[in-house]
Amino acid sequence: MSSRELESYRSGQPAQLADVLERVLDKGIVVAGDIRINLLDIELLTIKIRLLIASADKAREMGIDWWQSDPFLSGGNGHGQLEERLRKLEEKAGLPTTKEKS
Amino acid sequence: MSAAAPLPEDGPGWYLYGVAAAEEAPTARLESATAVDPQHPVALVVEGTLAGVTSRVSLEEFDEAALPQRLGDAAWVEQKVRAHEQVLEGVLEAASVVPCRFCTVYRTEAELRSFLAERNEELTRALARVAGRVELGVKAFVDRDRFAAGNNAVRELAERVSQAEGGRAYLESRRLEQLIGQELARFGAEVASALDERLRAAAEDGVLVGLQRPEVSGREEEMVFNGAYLVSEKPRFEQELATLAADFRGNGVELELTGPWPPYNFVPAKLGEP
Repeated sequence: MSSRELESYRSGQPAQLADVLERVLDKGIVVAGDIRINLLDIELLTIKIRLLIASADKAREMGIDWWQSDPFLSGGNGHGQLEERLRKLEEKAGLPTTKEKS
Repeated sequence: MSAAAPLPEDGPGWYLYGVAAAEEAPTARLESATAVDPQHPVALVVEGTLAGVTSRVSLEEFDEAALPQRLGDAAWVEQKVRAHEQVLEGVLEAASVVPCRFCTVYRTEAELRSFLAERNEELTRALARVAGRVELGVKAFVDRDRFAAGNNAVRELAERVSQAEGGRAYLESRRLEQLIGQELARFGAEVASALDERLRAAAEDGVLVGLQRPEVSGREEEMVFNGAYLVSEKPRFEQELATLAADFRGNGVELELTGPWPPYNFVPAKLGEP
């Protein structure tokens, strides 16, 4: 292979955290072995881990409660608000309402 | 939540990184590796034909009551995940390995051994599938601005935007952003399917992994493709990648190769579950 070809794609860099997290964590977590986690916890943790994958660097800068500042989880201006609106609409329409997440 | 089971044994638990064939598994390389719990060395637990790559871990740190909180701590997760990966990379230099999931922990050596013994057949099958093979990652990126400049539909609309004024200009520029997004998605999907087809042909197997946003990938360009491949002939795969990189460069697509990785994406997802 010519050196030109070798330079045609990037490689050989140290593994980026996102790539490592993606592989080590992406298949879900912590269900093998003896140590068990409540299934609901796993679901929540998986969301947190996805956010971690999405914002590891930012998280380090912020240092604290990093996932809580994410609108998706905190409900500040994303998902939560949407659910709230949905709930109100359902109430108005006299339908059984979407369960509020604890 | 169920009540926590009483600990059958005092002292640290056993963290299992992965499983290798006993006759292949290296010991020398492991001694220098940093374990997930750095107080304890990485060691092999040989049970029959298989060797578990393990280290002891504090159950205060890794028990189910503590883990949910730990997993919310980004710094903790990063350190442990990197240790998990580095131990497996050490094994991979000398032997094929079936990686376990993050935080696979046994409370006692007896339970770890019974896992290796009872699952011997399943683990041996998983090991045979990855033997002599490595996982390689391939990502493709497109520069959004360069792409927009080269796309006819986008150029046409951009011209109209530049002539519009006031509220109309605002609406048109919103439309332009939307159009760039759509065109880029369409182009990205084409690139991804072409890449995947050719790379699969040079590999034993392949899977598509989720795309990373720019703040994750660390690159300004848009990621349009993220694949993982189980590869036995690395030079052949790299040759094909170089050819693809040359073919696609004209379209503003850049490829990135990562690995070799332990074959995380090519072991049974439920391995080790009861």
